[in-house]
Amino acid sequence: MEDFKYIGKSVPRIDAADKASGEIKYMSDLNFPGMLFGKILRAKYPHALIKKIDTSQAKALPGVIAVVTHEDVPGLNGFGIVTPDQPVLCKDKVRYVGDAVAAVAAETGELAEKALALIDVEYEPLPVVDDLIEATQSDSPKVHDGGNIHLHTKVVRGDVEKAFKEADLIVEHTYCTERQEHAFLEMETGVARIEEDNILTIYAGSQYPHRDQMQLSRCLALNPHKIRVVSYPVGGAFGGKDELTIQPVLGLLALRTKRPVKMVMTREESIISYWKRHPMIMKYKTGVKNDGTLIVNKVTIYADTGAYASLGGPVVNLAIEHACGPYKLSNVDIEGYCIYTNNGVSGAFRGFGVPQTAFAVETQMDIIAEKLGIAPIELRRKNALRKGDIAPVGNKLTTSVGTVAVLEGISKTKLWKEREKYLVKNTKKPWIKRGFGFALTYQGTGLGVGLPDYGGAILKFCENGGFEVGVGMVDYGQGIGTSYAQIAAEMMKCPIDKIRVLLGDTTLTADSGPTSASRGLYLGGKATIIAAENMMTILKEKAAEMLETSVKDLDAENGYICMKNRPEKRVSYEEIAAQFMKELHHLPETEGHFLMPLADMKVENAFGLPHHIFAFSVHLALVEVNTLTGQTKVLKGAEVIDAGDIVNRQGLEAQTEGGFVMGMGYGLFENTVIEKGVFKTTNFSTYIIPSVEDVPFEIETVTVVNPEETGPYRSKGVAETVMCATAPAITNAIYNAVGVRIFKLPATSELVYTLLQKNEEKCNENTN
Amino acid sequence: MMKALNYLRADTIDSALQYLDEFKQDIRILAGGTDLVVRLKQDMVEENNILDISRIKELNDIFRENGAIHLLPLTTHTDILESETISKYAFILREACATIGSPQIRNRGTLGGNIVNASPAGDSISALFVQAARLKLKSINGERVVSIEEFFTGPGKTVLEPNELLVDIFMPELEENETGFFKKLGQRDALAIAVLNVAVKMRIREAGTNAFDRAVVAFGAVAPTVVRGRRVEKAIISSSLDSPEQIHYIARLAFREVSPISDIRASLKYRQDMSINLLYEGLLELSANDWKRKV
Repeated sequence: MEDFKYIGKSVPRIDAADKASGEIKYMSDLNFPGMLFGKILRAKYPHALIKKIDTSQAKALPGVIAVVTHEDVPGLNGFGIVTPDQPVLCKDKVRYVGDAVAAVAAETGELAEKALALIDVEYEPLPVVDDLIEATQSDSPKVHDGGNIHLHTKVVRGDVEKAFKEADLIVEHTYCTERQEHAFLEMETGVARIEEDNILTIYAGSQYPHRDQMQLSRCLALNPHKIRVVSYPVGGAFGGKDELTIQPVLGLLALRTKRPVKMVMTREESIISYWKRHPMIMKYKTGVKNDGTLIVNKVTIYADTGAYASLGGPVVNLAIEHACGPYKLSNVDIEGYCIYTNNGVSGAFRGFGVPQTAFAVETQMDIIAEKLGIAPIELRRKNALRKGDIAPVGNKLTTSVGTVAVLEGISKTKLWKEREKYLVKNTKKPWIKRGFGFALTYQGTGLGVGLPDYGGAILKFCENGGFEVGVGMVDYGQGIGTSYAQIAAEMMKCPIDKIRVLLGDTTLTADSGPTSASRGLYLGGKATIIAAENMMTILKEKAAEMLETSVKDLDAENGYICMKNRPEKRVSYEEIAAQFMKELHHLPETEGHFLMPLADMKVENAFGLPHHIFAFSVHLALVEVNTLTGQTKVLKGAEVIDAGDIVNRQGLEAQTEGGFVMGMGYGLFENTVIEKGVFKTTNFSTYIIPSVEDVPFEIETVTVVNPEETGPYRSKGVAETVMCATAPAITNAIYNAVGVRIFKLPATSELVYTLLQKNEEKCNENTN
Repeated sequence: MMKALNYLRADTIDSALQYLDEFKQDIRILAGGTDLVVRLKQDMVEENNILDISRIKELNDIFRENGAIHLLPLTTHTDILESETISKYAFILREACATIGSPQIRNRGTLGGNIVNASPAGDSISALFVQAARLKLKSINGERVVSIEEFFTGPGKTVLEPNELLVDIFMPELEENETGFFKKLGQRDALAIAVLNVAVKMRIREAGTNAFDRAVVAFGAVAPTVVRGRRVEKAIISSSLDSPEQIHYIARLAFREVSPISDIRASLKYRQDMSINLLYEGLLELSANDWKRKV
């Protein structure tokens, strides 16, 4: 690796001090004179027709400034990134208990809430569609007029039937996963107000301000240039703020009242109303030869998208693309159904369909390895996709492929090296058993084929000789703001404290696409590099004039442009800035735009497939299972990651630790329980996320050398892959510890205990 | 939405008793607030008057007197964890308080509050059962003492009269030859409401043996109130805990002591099995430690 000043180093987050001191102003900290408080009336039933809405009493309450219903939505009464099928305010039907029926703006939050209670809505309840499989039957009640199957994708390659005949072993299982909540620290919160030049400004944390602006323009029937969206800072998102949340209602209330309106969700309202990870039922049938060669996979996926589409379709398609894991398979029949129900709403969530299929495929792999008597690492290595191979859905892998590298990296982890020592039997407490497990996964970067996938950056030269980088992405914890600062400082050859990063603002930053799909660093980073190259050309041209020399003889170094052979002959960036001000009365500004490289083909009838660049990771876990209670404790964790070259070591380690813990929660605890359309776990008393006491003391981050030539400083995105295979690593470790296979997440104490009991019964039967 | 409340503060027991007598049914006591404030925010409090007793100095102390250990009701869980007296003479209670909530909750939450709340899953309560705690209740008309077991009548229900205040919690000091434990099963390792908890106190008959002449067992979160495991107690006293098999045989009696329900945290069946297994595990651990207390 070249010698860089900032790239590849451990650089503290540029926002760390502001966040630690409380200096940073989140949207919930914003207050404006004359500000009103908004509240949303949610549906009373998970599925019902609206017969009548009477707001007269609410409107009559003193202090209530506006009460709005569907009649007040000036534009399209619908939003949704792919299909705008979710009403801003419901007109004739509600489809889940979080559906918005009316909204109020009042002088205080208490008054607004009082007013909600005065809105009289007459419903005619309908049968609740809550079973994923029943919902697909023709006689099921329909959530939407078009039927309950929002999307059906089928990808077939090779001769599946013939391959199953040739298989020496067929392993067939059904896997189920549950509804994970993002559990970000900051709930959906924001303020909308009309600012200078009649611009409706929406301050609400989200992942893509420019798309929010487009969707809001459609709903509010407003020229997009009359809407400014500020979506940074935000206290966490993980995919849960990719789609719109409160913004359309907030905008509507501000337009209606001509006053600032603030809305802050409670945890309960947030959990009931907004996005979750899709629960899936996945049927796997895998055919393999005796030597371990995988020859065929038949997979059927049913995904519960809840009441509205949002990103359900793309989630199912990504699950399909990754359904076979990073393994060579030339005969596949993979199909997926994205199904409407009245079970809340599902949408984007870190991993985007891959945590589900990784759980299934990595359990299949361990089962196959055991049945054939092949070491699990060896089985995976034998079938691993390598550069130049054809991926299961048919695309040729021409970018960096790290499957073998991360598998080989396992041996570099302390956890692997010392596993024998860790796995020693507990003689004092023989009912406590330890086990080791691992799982492999990969994750496409970017949006895939079929969608324009671009990054944009604005670079402004400042009077102090520093630079301002404006990228329309959002740092919601992953640290891309710091990475952009590193890249800009490295490119502009200046100290990092001279870089100011602006994020998530439709006015001040360039449209850079959504902050999702592990694409933030990749696309925003590339755009920043291009903007910086353009800026450097301008600085050198000016310096050449000032030094009376030619550009080709100049170098940049630590905030100066100097002559290559006579470094003492130089001008500082401040001097160059002063010169610009003297001559032009303004400073130069450049832009960088970058288009994502795409795969060489597209998968027919599978929107967004395939991807072109992938990050790879192996997750390892050491667990201790209490056979008396079924409790699983994760003692140690490790990940081996192919992220190309690393931009920020410290950032990567934090990502890995956070991803591992989120994956661990997914594997062991987390489930938003919905019964007959009604939420049973609406806060953290019953929705269980890991506490610091549950988290392993040590989570190792090991990286492999596998530069991605197309990436910014040869890096690629890892935000999702670091989370996706933690759950199967843990469930494989549980099997290793106590011999029960987990086919359903989360592997709660009760589930593990029940399986242990069944195993014991089976053993008794066999001995009798 | 939180309703408007009338906030009252008492700085002495007498003034608190006056307020209680004056407002009778329409007053709620604020001690640590870890449960009350949550319920206020959920609009689950019917009373309109809040009596803050948190600054009554006479209600905040831990001391020994005539072979008994006294914990006044404003003692926080953190106070309990930091008290050497408690770790020596009431270590089962200490083990229980260590599992409550998080450091923040333990810093604010009080022992008196945990008792009066009367949650069947209240972690300190099972421990107080086996330590034979007694409660002094006071009103302007006088005072009375009830045993912890008589105090609870159902989930959230106690014998406390509307004008009465819990002013003292006291129990015999644990003797040298007494051992025991508290164990809790939650959905995670901290900030968890008990799926089940169990507390055990046993007196060793003769050092070096596995025989006991006294045993008290209590289960939490498996019945409308914390319950004693009397069959288990009798079995412990009438046999010798010589082998894991024998211990398991005894622990299985727990099945008869509990009447759990299914809820969002666990099923009836799992709670039933865990009442056996948690007791079994606790006894096994203690036996592996030659019946010596953990502390």
